[in-house]
Amino acid sequence: MNNAKMWLVVKPTVGVPLFLSAVAVGSFAVHVAVLSSTGWVGDFLSGNELGSGDASAALSTETGIAKVGYDDSRQLVVTLPDGTVTKAVYTETH
Amino acid sequence: MSDDPDKVGPTGLTLKEAEEVHSYLIDGTRVFGLIALLAHVLTAFTTPWLG
Repeated sequence: MNNAKMWLVVKPTVGVPLFLSAVAVGSFAVHVAVLSSTGWVGDFLSGNELGSGDASAALSTETGIAKVGYDDSRQLVVTLPDGTVTKAVYTETH
Repeated sequence: MSDDPDKVGPTGLTLKEAEEVHSYLIDGTRVFGLIALLAHVLTAFTTPWLG
């Protein structure tokens, strides 16, 4: 018991909760850091295949590519890479 | 270096009592570590964590 003598100078009522709190805070921080930089927990909670969120996120942040579609009134709808949805204005030429 | 097991430290604990407190803390840490190790192995196999 190499370090047992620490309890001669540190009260166990202070040292034990401090030790347990340090473990809890450290573990929580590491897990938040890992999970906030990945997307598969969100996929799991959404019932999607794990990893599919990362793929679609990578697609949506691809720069320079906008999706173009029609709405009900055949108005062109443009979705920009940052998620902005806008409508294209065009004029008919004869 | 000889240590008197009945020597009382500043916290009021004897060396014997300090070693008893420490043994519980070590045991708890070992159990926590084993459960955490098992959880991390399961997580590594069942999720994309670690690729």
